[in-house]
Amino acid sequence: MLASTLVTAGAAAAATGCAMGGALHQATLVGQCAADDAACSRRHPQAPIAIGTHFYPEVSTELAGTTTPNLRLESVAPEIVAVEDGALVARKSGASAVLISTDDGSIVDFVHVWVAPATKITLSRRDGERIAGPIALAVGEDVTLVPALWNGAQRLSGDGEAQWRETTTGGGGNAAAHAAAQAQVEITTGPVAILRDGSADRRRLRARTPGRATVIVALGDVQATVDVEVVP
Amino acid sequence: MIARGLQRLALAAALAAVAACHPVLSAETPAPPGRSARLDAVDGFWSVQSYRLELSQGVAVAVSCSYGGPCEKLTAASDNAAIAEVRAAALQTLRPVALSTNQQPAAVVVIVGKAPGTTTIRLYSHDGNREIAVTVVPPPGAPSASLASSPAVAAATTPPAS
Repeated sequence: MLASTLVTAGAAAAATGCAMGGALHQATLVGQCAADDAACSRRHPQAPIAIGTHFYPEVSTELAGTTTPNLRLESVAPEIVAVEDGALVARKSGASAVLISTDDGSIVDFVHVWVAPATKITLSRRDGERIAGPIALAVGEDVTLVPALWNGAQRLSGDGEAQWRETTTGGGGNAAAHAAAQAQVEITTGPVAILRDGSADRRRLRARTPGRATVIVALGDVQATVDVEVVP
Repeated sequence: MIARGLQRLALAAALAAVAACHPVLSAETPAPPGRSARLDAVDGFWSVQSYRLELSQGVAVAVSCSYGGPCEKLTAASDNAAIAEVRAAALQTLRPVALSTNQQPAAVVVIVGKAPGTTTIRLYSHDGNREIAVTVVPPPGAPSASLASSPAVAAATTPPAS
């Protein structure tokens, strides 16, 4: 009896779209993520967005008897979260309702979006495994690293233009690498090449020549480092 | 004896019908944590006179209108859209209509707090009109500042005088 009641309740919840993250249970915002991107925040409720980053949402709805109408996003407090070309831009700490409305202005749903400053960056592999120590690579090998932004224990979402650079261990700062990072071009000096792969923040490290290097990832005032050793 | 009782019941029903000559408003969504979205009825002698809403800046709340069933032809306007804005909502939900077996689409508006201040939201429908006195409050400051300014927390953390 209890089981059948629970099943009925579950079916009713599914039918009425209670799984949706919007306040009215009709629509929600999730990140535009690749299926194999474990670090992407395709989940709801979504994490707060880090200040200075962009969140590229995908609006999904569950409206009985209709396909999803053409929807648009609108922020109630643009000084906290702005909507630019369909992306949410986190500007300062706080919360703002993001209205999901039809072309005629009728609100289908809304989601309160939080914004927080990033206090920490961690690095992980593409499969989500966290980088907790030095990385050793043989010449010719590569590894893709994904930065994750945190505010204390809270994981943050958003794509930021993180700055990647490499310093060779014991040699002080690598001016050429730093300049290349600033110019956002491929780094061709040092033991490791830092290559873009089309995403805003993810990078592929390719071992070029034997040696040791420290790769630094920075977004604003916070940064993370990882030591890389390249062996023949 | 029974007839007298029925008369009294009919009289009470008639009074209730006269008193309840305006739609009833209900909040449909909660506030996010640490923010405010509270709708209160302002009671008059016979029934609810009007409503008041405390809403945090940047927060939205959905409010439904009913009069036995969903209000018919619901429209709304704000006296000052720079403080609180009101928009029609398209809620794909049917609600029962009084004692009939019929159902009709829920009549809902969404009110958003734009800037601190007070204003009035006016709701119009074929079933009657309503006013909501809206107070938009600024969001709280940093959590530590909010806790420090809380009398309860201050009392709990202040060491007793020796």
